Amino acid sequence: MTKLVTLTIDGMQVSVPEGTLVVDAAKKIGIEIPVFCYHPKMEPVGMCRMCLVEIGRPVIDRSTGQPVLEDDGSPKIQFSPNLETACTTPVGAGMVVLGATEKARSGREDIIEFLLTSHPLDCPICDKGGECPLQNLTIKYGSGQSRYLYDEKKHFVKHVSLGELIFLDRERCIQCGRCVRFQSEIVDDPVIGFFHRGRALEIVTYSNPGFDSYFSGNTTDICPVGALTTADFRFGARPWELNKAASICNHCPVGCNLTMNVRREAASGGDWVVKRVMPRQNESVNEIWVCDKGRFGYHFAASSSNDQTSFKRLSQPLVRKNAGSDHPGELVPASWDEALSVVSERFAEAGDGLLALAGGRLANEDLFNLKQLTTTLGGEAVLYTHMAGGELTTQLGIQPGSDIGTMGQGDAILVVACDLMEEAPIWWLRVKQAAERGSQLIILNSRSTKLDQAAAFVLRYPFGAETSAVLAMLNALSEKRLRLPEAVQVLERDPTLQAAAEVFSGANNALIMYGSDCIGLTESQALAQACANLLDATGHVGRPNNGLLGVWPRANDQGAWELGFQTQTKLEDALGAAAALYIVAADPAGDDPTYLGQSGFGGKAFVVVQDLYLTQTARLADVVLPAQSWIERDGSFTSGERRAQRFYPVIPPRTAPVSRAESPSTNKAPLLIAGDEVMESPLPDFAITAMITLRIDSEARITASSAARVFNQMAETVPAFSDQTYLELAQVHEQWPIVGRDDLYYGGTSYENTGGLGMQLALNTSDTPSTTRLAGTTVEFIRMPKLGQIAFPIARLYDRGKTLMPSQLLHERIGEPYIVLNVNDAEMLRIQDGDVVHMTVANREPDSPDRVTTGQTVVVQARLDQELPERVVLVPRSFGIPIDKPTPVEIRRTE
Amino acid sequence: MLAEKYTTEIQTILAKYPPEERRAAVMPLLYLVQRDQLYVDRHSMSEIAEILGISTTEVASVVGFYSLYYDQPGGKYRIQVCTDLPCALRGAEQFMEQLCQRLGIKPGETTSDGLFTVEPVMCLASCDKAPMFQVQSGGGLAYYEDQTVENALALIEQLRTEAASKGSAKRKDEYE
Repeated sequence: MTKLVTLTIDGMQVSVPEGTLVVDAAKKIGIEIPVFCYHPKMEPVGMCRMCLVEIGRPVIDRSTGQPVLEDDGSPKIQFSPNLETACTTPVGAGMVVLGATEKARSGREDIIEFLLTSHPLDCPICDKGGECPLQNLTIKYGSGQSRYLYDEKKHFVKHVSLGELIFLDRERCIQCGRCVRFQSEIVDDPVIGFFHRGRALEIVTYSNPGFDSYFSGNTTDICPVGALTTADFRFGARPWELNKAASICNHCPVGCNLTMNVRREAASGGDWVVKRVMPRQNESVNEIWVCDKGRFGYHFAASSSNDQTSFKRLSQPLVRKNAGSDHPGELVPASWDEALSVVSERFAEAGDGLLALAGGRLANEDLFNLKQLTTTLGGEAVLYTHMAGGELTTQLGIQPGSDIGTMGQGDAILVVACDLMEEAPIWWLRVKQAAERGSQLIILNSRSTKLDQAAAFVLRYPFGAETSAVLAMLNALSEKRLRLPEAVQVLERDPTLQAAAEVFSGANNALIMYGSDCIGLTESQALAQACANLLDATGHVGRPNNGLLGVWPRANDQGAWELGFQTQTKLEDALGAAAALYIVAADPAGDDPTYLGQSGFGGKAFVVVQDLYLTQTARLADVVLPAQSWIERDGSFTSGERRAQRFYPVIPPRTAPVSRAESPSTNKAPLLIAGDEVMESPLPDFAITAMITLRIDSEARITASSAARVFNQMAETVPAFSDQTYLELAQVHEQWPIVGRDDLYYGGTSYENTGGLGMQLALNTSDTPSTTRLAGTTVEFIRMPKLGQIAFPIARLYDRGKTLMPSQLLHERIGEPYIVLNVNDAEMLRIQDGDVVHMTVANREPDSPDRVTTGQTVVVQARLDQELPERVVLVPRSFGIPIDKPTPVEIRRTE
Repeated sequence: MLAEKYTTEIQTILAKYPPEERRAAVMPLLYLVQRDQLYVDRHSMSEIAEILGISTTEVASVVGFYSLYYDQPGGKYRIQVCTDLPCALRGAEQFMEQLCQRLGIKPGETTSDGLFTVEPVMCLASCDKAPMFQVQSGGGLAYYEDQTVENALALIEQLRTEAASKGSAKRKDEYE
């Protein structure tokens, strides 16, 4: 236990841990000490002097070491003659702090006056106006009169683009340094800095390309003035015009808590519009931060059927009509009633020949109902993903009470086959901070990643040998050694590996985070199993802050695993063999033309696609059902840390002009009585699935009425959710630091969490973990071919996926499709950096890795890298290049 | 290219610091560049950043912070006059104004022959000997205290003659 220190602030006694700063101690008991430069997440610097207080300390008799007493027996307090900064002064026993005195007030008034001598009075056009600490504190502490010399006002540039996402207004900057400190102290990406001194000081970037940091948007939240604004929101709306709704980010498995600000706009025909995405505090998930993908990548969810771009949303069901033997017919708008009867009829016919393929961006409720449908019919529920091993995370994953934010001294985190910065930036931050607090960070990867800089042990394995590398760690700890391939023998003998294995084994708590860097479905299954074996062997299971954590490609893959979704290694075969396909939130045909197969997509199967857009797969479907995006409805996601979290409706569902030609049926589901307008509009995924199921079996245990009812049904049926209710997910408790109330000066504009902190799922203990499966078996690994290259898929945060491309603002960061080649290979192929090359993808299941059969060809830009081994090509996922596992390719220069 | 041109100098500088504190070498490396070209251009900042494993912005911040580093080209001799309060009380402001007038430039500007830039700076720790200034050139730094405009102009004339006689071909000798 840390020692508690008791002091008095403005007459109130408070006991806080030793080392706490006076400003924080005051905050804990609700006493306001205004600050600009201080931020509870960063080291104090005492630059702005706004937090001035009078501090008195007990007088100690030097000869006895005892406090000197006044005549009345109370300790004698000596006040320092000058005001002191509460943000740099740690508390002391018996200290007396006075912040409400005339002296302190007048000190603060002076500081405000200094700050305002050259601050522009452009509050009426400033984006920060209304939620501006400087504005608020000026009203509270500033002088009513200005002694401001207008003639001496300094003029600086007002629109400095620090990169295409963040703009700087130099006149408004009060030089608190929060942004600069955030970038260097918190996210270790010092691409903005101070230039010059005093009045001339300015925030600059000399980096190329500019303020290009995945966390840049957070600087606008903590900027205490309107100096930093985002390109997305600037001049967009006034803060007080905005409504707010709690949401969860849908881009990655971290599950960052968000608040979305919306308003109705004339410009959008009176529609509700998302104006900005802000972080919402959840100290166990994202603290008060959010990455730029989450902040700027929401447009896909908010797009409408009026959208003129290719991201036009589906507005009503489509049914294929007029198909003949020689022509495919066309998708024609239809009523829900018609579409649902066709679908339910054909699904009932298909019976256990139904294959439901779901994308991991769906909510728990959607996935649960899908699973209910396939259970009813006896069909198969498959998760559309390139990363497996999920069932192991439900058994050996992390459990309630886990929080990377509490890991530190004595703990260990092993990160395998994962580029956390690109796959889940906020986890990168949390793991880096755990390492800074003393956790032993061990990295096993085939290539260097940004996280290496924070690691205690960095271990490299040859490309394709990730599973062997984990087993090598296991070997280092056990007497019974598995025989491992030659490729990892160097690693196996590496004393660093031995040391890392011992640290991992001896840690109080240990996590393994595995990703899908350079691996596909089959490899990730083996890797997860190896990780599970290592955790089991070292006893790091079944306790908080221990276990296996999958860095999944999608926000709710974890939910799918918990609900029993499976992966399908030979998905193209399964798609071809099914009698009916129900494809929800996935676009296999758009991702990889291989899925089109010999006889067209899905072969002879009846294909239903349920999505936001008319995807490539949807174009080939027999029926297309329009779904609501997650911000148009409520529901819950399960984060990779197995935390179920609720999201709320942000904007009302888009309604579309209804074709009056179709007369509504009398046989309507209860939800649809709302009126014709809603009738043909998108519906929540869970509701659509439920309506289909109920048409097949009216007795089926499935509900379309609300996400809450689906969730509670799920809690009754699925053990992992058994401890939870929808209502409990919305519970909150006070978090530290206190942010988002009236005191925006303290924590910034991140929202306080009132929508729910979520709950972590219990471990599935019903199935015995299959941790011995790999023992004694030969470990497969990728053998490098003698000829040609092998393409390994990697993750890029900004990809060309359908959920990011609608965010125009990020296009420059996303860039064009590219591959990364080794310099020697490039030289041999006469390819130079930046050249356009043809990459031919080999047969997906080659009998021999050396044999390259012709497959699809893509035209991409080549980037050269000196560190990559020969024959290795890196290919970013979701860039329109159909590589989702190590694949032989042939590369040639485009003549 | 810095790394090629000053391979040994860079090695000597880096050797003075522990490898994990390589970033501490930023100031001597900046000085190396400035001695060579009298200011630090953006490209050199990037090169230094790469040598030290820090961001270009961090290097630029150091250039921005210290008045001895320049990120813009100026005169061959930089005359930095202290105009802080104690110096101002001893006439430094008038001194600089008159000096500039005699040279036909404004503070911060460079003489037409490209040799002299005069600029006001903060405290140079010689308050009792004001008016004073320091001259920075490729050859290093020199203090000139208890100055009058006439003194200063005489010095400028002397430097001008030296510059003319040496010529640019011999400039390298100055550093050694």
